[in-house]
Amino acid sequence: MSEVLIEVRGAGKRFRTWKRREGVRGFFANLFAREWTEVTALEGIELEIRRGEFVGLIGANGAGKTTLLKCVSGITPVSSGSARMFGCDSFELRDEHKRRLSMVMGQRSQLWWDLPAIDSFRLLREIYSIPKSDFDARVAAAAERLAVGDKLERQLRNLSLGERMKMEIIGAFLHEPDVVFLDEPTIGLDLVSRETIRRYLVEINRARGVTIVLTSHDMEDIEETCRRLVILRQGRVLFDGGLVDLKARVYERRAIEVHLEASSPGWDPAWEPLLAPFDARLERAAPLTLLFSVSAPAVQRFVPFLFERFAIRDLSIEHHPLDMIIRQIFQGRESGA
Amino acid sequence: MSSLAPVHPLVRDLRLLGVAFGYELRKVTAWRAGFVVRELMRSLWRPLVMIFVYRAILATPDARVGGFDFPTMVAYLILAASFEKLLFHQRGLDLADQIFQGYVTKYLTMPVRFFVLALGRFVQHVAVQASVVAILWIAGWALFPQWWPRPASASAALQAFGLVLLGSYCAFLVCFLVNVLAFWLEVVWTLSAMASFVFSFAAGVLVPVSAMPDGLAGTLRWLFPYWAVSAPGELFLGRLGTPDFVRGVLVLLAWIVALELLRQFLWRRGLRRHVGAGA
Repeated sequence: MSEVLIEVRGAGKRFRTWKRREGVRGFFANLFAREWTEVTALEGIELEIRRGEFVGLIGANGAGKTTLLKCVSGITPVSSGSARMFGCDSFELRDEHKRRLSMVMGQRSQLWWDLPAIDSFRLLREIYSIPKSDFDARVAAAAERLAVGDKLERQLRNLSLGERMKMEIIGAFLHEPDVVFLDEPTIGLDLVSRETIRRYLVEINRARGVTIVLTSHDMEDIEETCRRLVILRQGRVLFDGGLVDLKARVYERRAIEVHLEASSPGWDPAWEPLLAPFDARLERAAPLTLLFSVSAPAVQRFVPFLFERFAIRDLSIEHHPLDMIIRQIFQGRESGA
Repeated sequence: MSSLAPVHPLVRDLRLLGVAFGYELRKVTAWRAGFVVRELMRSLWRPLVMIFVYRAILATPDARVGGFDFPTMVAYLILAASFEKLLFHQRGLDLADQIFQGYVTKYLTMPVRFFVLALGRFVQHVAVQASVVAILWIAGWALFPQWWPRPASASAALQAFGLVLLGSYCAFLVCFLVNVLAFWLEVVWTLSAMASFVFSFAAGVLVPVSAMPDGLAGTLRWLFPYWAVSAPGELFLGRLGTPDFVRGVLVLLAWIVALELLRQFLWRRGLRRHVGAGA
């Protein structure tokens, strides 16, 4: 078994926030008698990540993904339990440990807007004490791989969003870290840029054994890069396992999308109990489109049931999309933890 | 992992400071249309207005304000404006924005002292403004030789410049401190504006401190702005001597120590509070 690089035991994170009151009276009340409330961002997190793993961290907005990244990377201390990296308390990491990690926040560019990326890389070279020959070789290789070799000298503000993110990725891997945290690195990017970045991450993970922890709302990011998935809901780990395990569930169920004729009756909520014998659920109901999730063995019986009730124009049966499973987990209808 | 050569932390900080200086220099000069014009013009309108005001006050040849006749006052105002340009100011530091937007936490994952990067901004500011002031002075000597100030001696000029540099560092620390308040406050720019106003007055930018009432002037002599602008101006003109320079250095060093301790304290407390709130 490879070395454990990240170890989180019973970690919780709580912080206090105060309610802002309006008006002149509220202003003075805010100054002298604030109404504090405690927010629990994480609770009882257990996690162990080994060298070379590629872990996808997903959850709805506010689930605690970014907070967990910050606790593990040492930006913020945990309120209870422990978060350790490289065998040390994450919040007490020394410089020699910090040289081994890197972080990219997709929504917060770290490169300077008015300068070419290469200038920001030179600053990173000094921060991480990278020898010049290594630096030049790494920048050239990464820029070529990400197809931005001719953009290094161009002012960052003149690059596209995808090119800027590629520069962020190059900067994050310049010092050859052992652990990289990527917080929504593909947010807002076009299909081609997303593909290029994913492929680069997978390659570097395999070639160098870099441990990568990725958060994303894009399930394609997760499916194409991660071998392991951690799902958070309301600050707790809901699922922690191989993507293969989760995909096995995909094959247990089918998604049936039904397109109705204009003359067809729509879905009647009173029919809900009729779905139980098929282990079926209505996932989405639009005026002329219905989406059902059905257990695979019941599909043969369920389709005639649909034809009995609706005038159907078109019908498709597909494997359950991964994001539907994830959505069900977020909504608490499945628990694989 | 990158290959690491064992280097003393101080040497590493100094090397990083050099690179950060270059980085900040490129940031402030690159792709900024009108940069030179803007830097040359900034801070010039106020002394120009004051010259006309003092022209009215000191209309007669024997008229004096705190011992300054009109030509000396003009020389003083030129010096004060030049020295003020060398002082670090709030516009030079966007730390409060970085705190508000959460960028600052990123540096916690890097093997770097954030202050060294900010210090690069200070060095850049002084270097750029010193160049701008040099250009202004060459032009001033060429165009207005009878009005432009001449140093009492080379030593007086060096002493004045030394005090301005120390004063500029004090101003940088104050800017840093005001920005750090963003850890607690949501609106920092009002504090910056107030600090800037108080600073201008205490520094004697508009009225030489020695021309102010004795009680007020005596109080201001314990504050660093006086030693950053007004005192260097009078040193340059020969109205103050070496003992005053020594006193100025001691006062400024005391301020630097106090502000530095406060900076370290507030930075640690602020950062802990910031990340404690999940930022």
